[in-house]
Amino acid sequence: MRTGNRELALLLPATLLTTLGFALLYTRGAQELSPASLVYGGIFLGLFGIVHLARRLLVPMADPYLLPVTAVLSTIGILMIYRLNPSRALDQALWLIVGLAVFVLILGCFRRHFSLLSDYKYLIGLLGIGLLLATIVFGREINGAKLWIYVGSRGIQPPEFAKLMLVVFFAAYLADVRELLTVSTSRFLGMAIPPVRYLSPLLLVWALSLALMIFMKDLGTSLLFFGALLALLYVATGRLLYVVAGVVLFAGGACVLYQIFPHVQLRVDIWLDPWVDPSGRGYQILQSLFALAAGGVFGRGLGDGYLLTTQGQPLIPAVETDFIFSAIGEELGLVGGVAVILLYVIFLYRAIHVAISARDDFSRLLAAGLGAIFGLQAFLILGGVTKLIPLTGITLPFVSYGGSSIVANFGLLALLLLASEQGARERAAERVPVVVGGGDG
Amino acid sequence: MERAMRRLFWFFAALFVVLIGNLTYWQVFAAPRLNTDPSNTRAVERQMRVERGVILTADGVEAATNTQEDVYFFRTYPDGSLFAPWLGYNSIRYGRAGVERVYNPELAGELDILQITNIIDLVTGKPRRGADVRLTVDADVQRAAAEALGDRAGAVVALDPKTGAVLAMTSYPRYDPNTLESDWDSLLSAEGRPLFDRAVQGTYAPGSVFKVIVAAAALQEGVVVTDAPFDDTGSFTAGGYEVTNFGDEAYGQHTFSDALVKSINTTFAKVGVDLGAATLGRYAGAFGVGSDLPWKLGGETGSFPNAAGMDTAHVAQVSFGQGEVLVSPLEMALVAAGIANGGTIMEPFIVSEVRDYRQTLLQRTQPQVWKRPITAATAQTVSELMVRAVEEGTGTNAAIEGVKVAGKTGTAEVDEGESHAWFIAFAPADDPQVAVAVIVEHGGTGGTAAAPIARSVIQAALAQE
Repeated sequence: MRTGNRELALLLPATLLTTLGFALLYTRGAQELSPASLVYGGIFLGLFGIVHLARRLLVPMADPYLLPVTAVLSTIGILMIYRLNPSRALDQALWLIVGLAVFVLILGCFRRHFSLLSDYKYLIGLLGIGLLLATIVFGREINGAKLWIYVGSRGIQPPEFAKLMLVVFFAAYLADVRELLTVSTSRFLGMAIPPVRYLSPLLLVWALSLALMIFMKDLGTSLLFFGALLALLYVATGRLLYVVAGVVLFAGGACVLYQIFPHVQLRVDIWLDPWVDPSGRGYQILQSLFALAAGGVFGRGLGDGYLLTTQGQPLIPAVETDFIFSAIGEELGLVGGVAVILLYVIFLYRAIHVAISARDDFSRLLAAGLGAIFGLQAFLILGGVTKLIPLTGITLPFVSYGGSSIVANFGLLALLLLASEQGARERAAERVPVVVGGGDG
Repeated sequence: MERAMRRLFWFFAALFVVLIGNLTYWQVFAAPRLNTDPSNTRAVERQMRVERGVILTADGVEAATNTQEDVYFFRTYPDGSLFAPWLGYNSIRYGRAGVERVYNPELAGELDILQITNIIDLVTGKPRRGADVRLTVDADVQRAAAEALGDRAGAVVALDPKTGAVLAMTSYPRYDPNTLESDWDSLLSAEGRPLFDRAVQGTYAPGSVFKVIVAAAALQEGVVVTDAPFDDTGSFTAGGYEVTNFGDEAYGQHTFSDALVKSINTTFAKVGVDLGAATLGRYAGAFGVGSDLPWKLGGETGSFPNAAGMDTAHVAQVSFGQGEVLVSPLEMALVAAGIANGGTIMEPFIVSEVRDYRQTLLQRTQPQVWKRPITAATAQTVSELMVRAVEEGTGTNAAIEGVKVAGKTGTAEVDEGESHAWFIAFAPADDPQVAVAVIVEHGGTGGTAAAPIARSVIQAALAQE
């Protein structure tokens, strides 16, 4: 099957899921099958169909699996949000359209000018840092973390976008200096140390990560940035030393912050034992675990979980955003939860596949970096709501409610497909001279 | 670079495997523990999805039913406080009480026998439903009792003397189970203790209604006969304690029958002293005073002092229902029922049947004999004396035209305030359909405050026949 048709075929299950899911939720409410569920399925198919065609047109050789995976994740997200709060599902659907538009827009802008991304790396990096600084200065604190800027009544989360810009910057910068980083010119405590001036931008990012933790009071975002940086350093140099040094640096910083900031201590204490205060500080994570336990292996069924109290209030605070996976775990069970986790693994696998298939360093590092930050974000929030690691308030990509998250992640998908297309073109170009070269010779 | 990228993928893959392992732990291995965790409100939520059985009165009125919102069932009590407090409540925050508590396995569909039909329903997709509980209480008699008592603190119990079935039982102050959760704090602190069931848990000095037991004992033991002559000077001293009559009356020459009809304290003190503490105690126990009541809904029972520790003065006092003897309204209703039923007291019960929603009978309460304190002949004699008490004695306020009512008044002196007003009765005397006990706290005399309530309840009960 041709690459493009494979993607189209894979979009069909997502459409089916949307149709059946909405059909189920409708029949629960109305006791009769409404054609509206078919309408939702149709709109969904139409929307992703258009995006599929746009992709075929703009980046015809790009990876065909990434878009269907995001389509299924978006479907699951929108179904769960609809089940929790129908008016928010409409919001989410609109943001999905905006996200897909941004996706097509990025593909259109950069498909012929992919090198612009690496050429203007400092501008892009500064823009990312500027967004973060703006968040610190103008941001509003919600649920203990300063992640939001309000434009009128609409809140946006600039760190979601800064995330992409910084990955582009890291990838481009490391593509330039990776040779130099593997050459050691001096030794420190018996260890080979690369020239410090090439490391300085990276130390700057480390400082920025700690600053984010201090000023935004947000462990998740800072962990994301730093984790992506370490992953890229490792991929670029192949040296575990950087990772170890980075982890030590970050852990050192985190330990100091733990001593200084009570909100960090609180997060860790709740993680260690939520049962100390089950109706207060431990309430959210315990409700999440209770939801998972109630779901069991097969779940209670879509719409049949106890996610809303009899007064219609969500039982788990932030169930539509950070804790949406708990809702999935209750209604779709372990089976559904593992399926969602595997979708992230597939996404990550394809991202790394794009990275390996690419020919130039920037494309490789960009794909690996985007994959790493995406995988890390999914892991941090999934691990947080399942009490594997302390909770950090970040969204579950493509599933959680939230416009910034949806739009930014479609941006991420677009960049990945651009890298994929770039790699495929370069591979094609490598083969072409063999054929054409004979004529020229 | 490729090797590093592959390793990066495997690193993440390992993280996600740990994530799946952790998720499996919570959803499979830790799930039973989490599902029963005390801070997990899902158990309550699961109960709210079950359509709880309806509680019906004997005449088919829904005392407790459900309203459905979405998939949840909310308990409602259409008649408000009418059946409180014994009907109880089914509250998420405050648990259960009364019939709702004791019959919860049936109402919630948790009986073993219901599990089988539940599984069938689960497979066929029907929602789980609890079994319906049918009461012996008649809504009209209950309403008559509650209205007759009105807003006076006290209690009314009406029984079918032949079976022990409760026809009506009310207590005031009481509460509205529909608004229990919002009223809870004020219910706990309220002076009249609305959550407290006076009919079963309230214990009071019986006053002269206790004379029915003393008379039955004396006649059964042969200490007196009905026309045994007595002379009353208005005062009798026993063991240094002076017994006087209500209102300091002096009745002169009279028979033992007259003493019960007119409620003469001095004569009962004399008879009681003749019977002795041990015999009095035996009969009190034989009539159920201070015995463990076979009452499924629980409650306190009255008490009779230890015979060995009683001096003559105390025996004289107890003989007209003062001193350390305490009884509950339900116990006094059982005494009346025992006289009515030829000397046999049936076990009291309030639930007659349990049926599943297909109307299949799951349980039926069979009337059981509880005690036989006296012979049918003695019971007949006491009954005749009680008929006279209503026709010409202290209980004339309970008289109903065309119906032979047997009754006995009681006016129990208390340490503070007005006396408690008592009345026990049954009717029709020759074929008793209903036995009643009434207490009005600090109501004054039994004849004026309690007897009219008994009359209303008897009329309502006989109207059901």
